[in-house]
Amino acid sequence: MAATASSSGGHERLRTGARAVRAVIVTCQKWVALGAADADSAGHNAADQRFGGTSAADQAALEWALRLGAARSEAVTVIALGPDEASKALRDAAAAGADRLLRVDSSTSIDSVDVAAAITSALQSLGAADVSFIVCGDYSLDRGSGSVPAFLAAMLGMAMALGAVGIDLADGTDVEVLRRLDGGRRERLRLHDSGVISVEGSTATLRRASLSGVLASKAKQIEMHTPTRSIDHVARATTMSTYRPRARQLAPPVGGNPLARLHALTSATHRSTHGETVVLDPQMAARRIVEALTVWGYLDGESGPAADAPTR
Amino acid sequence: MSETDFDVVVVGAGPAGSCAALSLAKAGHSVLLVERGPFAGSKNMYGGVVYPRILDALIPNWWEEAPIQRWVTRRQTMVMTPTQSLTIDYRSDTWAKPPYNGATAYRPDFDFWLAGKAEAAGAQLICSTTVTGLLRDGHGRTIGVRTDRPDGDITARLVIACDGVNSFLAKEAGLYRRDVDANSFTLGVKETIALPTDVINERFGVRGREGADIEIIGCTGDVNGGGFIYTNLDTIGVGVVLKLSKLGAQRQRPEEIIANLKAHPSVAPLVEGGEVKEYSAHLIPEAGYDMIPTLAGDGLLIAGDAAGLCLAAGIWLEGVNFALASGMYAGDAAADALRSDDTSAAGLAGYRQRLERTFVLKDHAKLRHIPHLVLGDRLQQEYPQMVANIVERMFRVDNPRPKPGIRRILTQERRHAGIRWRDLAKDTWTAMRGFG
Repeated sequence: MAATASSSGGHERLRTGARAVRAVIVTCQKWVALGAADADSAGHNAADQRFGGTSAADQAALEWALRLGAARSEAVTVIALGPDEASKALRDAAAAGADRLLRVDSSTSIDSVDVAAAITSALQSLGAADVSFIVCGDYSLDRGSGSVPAFLAAMLGMAMALGAVGIDLADGTDVEVLRRLDGGRRERLRLHDSGVISVEGSTATLRRASLSGVLASKAKQIEMHTPTRSIDHVARATTMSTYRPRARQLAPPVGGNPLARLHALTSATHRSTHGETVVLDPQMAARRIVEALTVWGYLDGESGPAADAPTR
Repeated sequence: MSETDFDVVVVGAGPAGSCAALSLAKAGHSVLLVERGPFAGSKNMYGGVVYPRILDALIPNWWEEAPIQRWVTRRQTMVMTPTQSLTIDYRSDTWAKPPYNGATAYRPDFDFWLAGKAEAAGAQLICSTTVTGLLRDGHGRTIGVRTDRPDGDITARLVIACDGVNSFLAKEAGLYRRDVDANSFTLGVKETIALPTDVINERFGVRGREGADIEIIGCTGDVNGGGFIYTNLDTIGVGVVLKLSKLGAQRQRPEEIIANLKAHPSVAPLVEGGEVKEYSAHLIPEAGYDMIPTLAGDGLLIAGDAAGLCLAAGIWLEGVNFALASGMYAGDAAADALRSDDTSAAGLAGYRQRLERTFVLKDHAKLRHIPHLVLGDRLQQEYPQMVANIVERMFRVDNPRPKPGIRRILTQERRHAGIRWRDLAKDTWTAMRGFG
């Protein structure tokens, strides 16, 4: 099922008053330090860039941004939020082909809403009124909540398609995103000309940087941005605890003995009534399936089960 | 000059490669240092002790900033049998002060620091890039390297191969000797075991940044080799070096040999309660002077382990200092050759001359027979038992019997060990010639 998501007024507001510049694809990378405590045991390398990096999802996001940039003939800007060590992620991105690098000087341990606010502020400082797509990883190396892309879409007033398991660039104008939904279902969204996309790591493998790309990346300028925008109008978590679903009250199981009650409680011996074997030509079979799903409550419909379906 | 064209390409950012790059960058040349790991030192391991005094020439007061774990102030040599051990223990306050002697360090720290020095001097370092072969012109002269990156050819007036033991580049250039085989190599395996700093200090009799280094012979069973234990701040390294051909013939697993070493009554109290944090292994060029290859070709130099520069001479077990020095001298010789615009094998002859004038080849030449003696069957399988038995009888009080004369003990234990006078004299002569 395809739906069309389009930019809302917020993004249009961002464009208002800005001189039209060439559109840019933006990808956001979160550099995460790993094993810093171990590396510090000898009193050396307190902020150790050797043991940090970006997630597979962030790398996939970079790859998609580069593909989008090529398909749309747009420049790709990479934004990384973090300390100086995050520059390594930016240079790796430049080696792979990113055009512009921006580091938002901030701690990586801030709330997602603050990360998004900082990136929004950075985009505005770039004069990025013509940002077309923002591509983020669905998770960072420290397994964050994956909520930054949603906050970004909200703050920039852009359409969003999050948790992508597949992207079809088509002609580069409309981007089709296949999303993972609960219960193994999928949703297909079409983003027209702009939007925020977050991708899973399996969607793409970051291209291997060319030798000349690696060498050129060392001299590539990294622009700096210090976030100024403060976010004080959003709800914030005050306590953090493990999620516990609320208890539901159920009727006691019916049965003459404990085993029967256990069976009733667990449905262990219960046979589904949803199922039948029929022999039909394809057209009738499709109609029968729709009717059955409607009766079982999976589909909204008006027609009842076919009365003439032979049962075997 | 294009962006992929350099005066010199140095392959491998280990101690040799970084010193070569540092030396050349200081001389004002464009240098590219290529490392296959994600950062310099990420793929390197060693026996654990580095003797960095040679760095005085390149990095004054290096000890003030080098990422050293401990300064070795206790040096022990242990002769071991399955149930006995004899230890010679030397301790010095002098080694706890600048300019120090030996030090323990983690290679991912030390090599990373050293490569950073080369970068700071102007060398370019690229990581996660594997050199897959040499680029050569129609005359067979090396003119660069090919890497595994897209568009990955790098041209240079000179290539310095510091790509470690079993160098593919040296092999490709035909610089290795044909008589070098598995007998010329050992396999070093090591466990890094975490223990609290206080416990390490107490067990090894050290304080603060003082450290201990124990070298062991007779601890590897039927596989000729040796063992070592050394202290870091909050870990200890326990490992063995095993003659490759024997290891294959005996069909033993190296981790079993380490387990036996750790279970020895003299070692068990040192490692008790520790948690193994890391297991690593590495091939070591151990045949010394007799396996050193041709060190220069047209447009190519080799240094460090790639050049077989590792000294396994019983009481002296050194490798990193030879890598540091050979890398530095390769850089110096390369700078001279570039200056005179002659990077042919003849123009690079200054490299070998530098090594011959200094400890690098002087030590190897003087001790050329010692590796064969140390890894030989008599010293490995017979002498440790004989020495331990002699000492045991010397110290044993066996009243009411009177004390035996030492000469009598020596004679009886030599005979008991089945060692012929002729072999004993021959080995003594070899040792005297090497160590004398």
